[in-house]
Amino acid sequence: MRIGIDVGGTHTDAVLMDGMDIVSSHKALTSSDVRQGIMEALDAVMLDAHVTATAIDAVMIGTTHFTNAVIERKELCPTAIIRACLPTGSGLPPKCDWPEDIAAALGDHRHMIGGGHLFNGKEIAPLDERALDLAIDDIVQKGIKSIAVAAAFSPANADHELAIAKYLSQRIPDANITVSHEIGRLGILERENAALLNAALGKLAHRVVSNMQAALGERKIHCSFYVSQNDGTLMSADYIARYPALTFSSGPTNSLRGAAILSGIADAIVVDIGGTTVDVGVLAKGFPRESNSHIDVGGVRTNFRMPDILPIGLGGGSLVTENGNRLGPQSVGHRLVKEGLVFGGSTLTATDIAVANGSADVGDVSRVADLDPALIERATVTMHQMIDDAVDKMRPSEEPVPVILVGGGAILVSRELSTASEVIHPEHAGVANAIGAAIAQVGGEVEHIVSYAKINRDDALAAATEEARHKAMAAGADPDTLRVLDMEETTMSYMDDDAARIRIKVVGDLKQTP
Amino acid sequence: MKIIGAGHIKDLCAGAAFLATGGGGDPYVSQLLAEQLLEKYGAATLISPEDLADDAFVVSIGMVGAPTVTLEQLPTEEEAIGALNKYEEITGKKIDAVIPFEVGGGNSTIPLFVAAIKGIPCVDGDGMGRALPEAQMMTFPIYGAKPTPAVIMDAFGNSELLECEDALTFEKEIRAKAVAMGGMISSAEHGMSGELVKRSAIPHTISFAVELGRLLRGHGGVIDAIQDDLFKLFAESDYGVIKHLFTGKVVDSERKIIGGYDVGTATLQGFGSTGSGGSNGARDNAETKMELLIKNEYLVAKIGDRVVASVPDLICVVEQETSRSLNAERMRYGQRVAVYGIGCTHHYRTPEALAVTEPRAFGFDLDYVPLEKISID
Repeated sequence: MRIGIDVGGTHTDAVLMDGMDIVSSHKALTSSDVRQGIMEALDAVMLDAHVTATAIDAVMIGTTHFTNAVIERKELCPTAIIRACLPTGSGLPPKCDWPEDIAAALGDHRHMIGGGHLFNGKEIAPLDERALDLAIDDIVQKGIKSIAVAAAFSPANADHELAIAKYLSQRIPDANITVSHEIGRLGILERENAALLNAALGKLAHRVVSNMQAALGERKIHCSFYVSQNDGTLMSADYIARYPALTFSSGPTNSLRGAAILSGIADAIVVDIGGTTVDVGVLAKGFPRESNSHIDVGGVRTNFRMPDILPIGLGGGSLVTENGNRLGPQSVGHRLVKEGLVFGGSTLTATDIAVANGSADVGDVSRVADLDPALIERATVTMHQMIDDAVDKMRPSEEPVPVILVGGGAILVSRELSTASEVIHPEHAGVANAIGAAIAQVGGEVEHIVSYAKINRDDALAAATEEARHKAMAAGADPDTLRVLDMEETTMSYMDDDAARIRIKVVGDLKQTP
Repeated sequence: MKIIGAGHIKDLCAGAAFLATGGGGDPYVSQLLAEQLLEKYGAATLISPEDLADDAFVVSIGMVGAPTVTLEQLPTEEEAIGALNKYEEITGKKIDAVIPFEVGGGNSTIPLFVAAIKGIPCVDGDGMGRALPEAQMMTFPIYGAKPTPAVIMDAFGNSELLECEDALTFEKEIRAKAVAMGGMISSAEHGMSGELVKRSAIPHTISFAVELGRLLRGHGGVIDAIQDDLFKLFAESDYGVIKHLFTGKVVDSERKIIGGYDVGTATLQGFGSTGSGGSNGARDNAETKMELLIKNEYLVAKIGDRVVASVPDLICVVEQETSRSLNAERMRYGQRVAVYGIGCTHHYRTPEALAVTEPRAFGFDLDYVPLEKISID
């Protein structure tokens, strides 16, 4: 059996699964103490099902800790960046397009030095060791331990990034270094942004992971422990401590994957209603449709591949204003259980409307008995209209689509949606994220630079796919379930060398322990 | 005279991305650079071609090379300014205004910050009205401008003077130089009189791109909702003709680099829905497929065996759900797109212009039929 836990900003969901069957599930408010929260989740699902620690084969955890830290600009370490690019790139220095508050949270510790490569793998300039020394002097003097390293065209030639990292770790042995080519793709601005955020999260990542491990240890669970990443695949705990940024979008991904499993529908729109926001995503063949464009994380542009999510400011805790013509974006969030009318508070929220119109049965219904029926009706129409509009923006065509409702706020929707061919309220919808984490798969990824002048495209793709399969199997995938999740081919126009960068990702189910 | 400041650049780039017909690379880097520089040096002044003095001296300025290179080898203002200063030094002529090569893609922003820094106006117009891959396809040489003397400068400050007999030779020369000099160079070229600009440039394209971008960005949702506004904008412009060609999903996209060009075919399949209402016939029937033939830009659009639009008319592709323009390099399986055909301006409809921009000039064995003469349904 396996346990999936999703630690969200407001709620922590947990589910115990035996194969594809849900044995028990639990939902609680997220504890500010990571260790305590995980232990409570484990206890709840295991006690409920009378299961002991030895019966657990794997634990999968999804977390929004790192996304929230970036969005809230909290717990980010002062972080330096060394970019090897000069004499190019001086017009657009690192962080030049960052919002001021997050730029300030990391501090102004930017260094550009001579180095980096050209498109053809030749050096822009030799790595400027003297400038590197001066940059490191400054970093040492400021006492900064988190450092991001970027170099022009490092996805094609990582020598300069690796040389800088090596030298850095000699001079600052306890440095937490992120080299950009390990975390991002072509596009130095976006890649170094990703590296900066990853490095800035280093301390938090170590603390969160060790707390998770401590929680499992205290409950005598000694099986494999995974954390889910952006693309819906799993990574091991020590990996996540080094690459926390790869979890940025795991919440929506898990919710989409969970919705597919719960409903048995592979092509649909998933509406995940939380306390403050509704996330609308698209399921295509059981997997999230990925965004085509660059993704802002807390206002910082990155080029991670993430699911295409449309967030709107509506949730169970949304304030109802303007006589019911407006809901959100302000929300009481997790204080709903204290401040909402039905919970004895004095704030009119979306949840109160759902109780008043009879679609939800939570709290004390008598506390909304005196609400103006016209207000209830207007607010009900407004929130359905908001969701309808969002679905309309995301659906693949004008054709009505199945809409799957998940998340704690799914009770808000009680009527038909004009965009939907059917509205599905699956059982266990409140813990879809945890289910998505529990059923997450293992992946293997390979990147090759090939010349189609020397090898034909089919052979090149086949070789890369084979290597990715081996990586996935080494990570614990069942070879019979492996499939290609993503294939990316980047060619460079106006360059007559017929070169292409191919990146292949395969995924498969975790091999069941015999 | 109009003013283009840092606040207009996002709209300009969104409009330019649409007019780039799939080429021009990712405009983000040039957008960011233009915003930073116009913030620092103040807004650029736009001058309409008709307001130029006949004896004014105008030089075209922009970047030549592989757009992908600028994603890593970030540009600065120094190459463009350096090339222009060197041009004045070598020719001994004072430049009164600059003009973009092409409105499509990142090259639309470079003359603006150059103009702001140099304190001269930028002409509201360009030499393509879209994006096209080669220098001889610009309206400047087609209508008599000499590409050289041209001054090129790389990221390291190395410059060279080019002297060529004709535009075709110039194209070969400058392309080879771009590859040899790191993949991307700036070029000051096509020195022209104000009178020649009036005859050869496609007018008002920069201010048009700003308006177009404002419409696309301001909306940001399903393109169908603004299709009427989009049609009105083009109908009232020099382009005149616009048609919805297809809406569907990318089901295949194969690419190869041949002779330095990103060559390939993308196949779209209809959703089988009615799209923006009314009968769309073959344009989004689930049974029909559209093929887009690509050579950096979208050059030919076919439904079945029938060509429904071809170069030099514009074939513009947007993500259906967001109204964002889709670069050919970024096209991939599963994307939902809407395809529009837009008539090129009269500048490209003369025999001398068609000789270098019709489908045969790109190696496609088919005749150019003007967009407005093709029936889709």
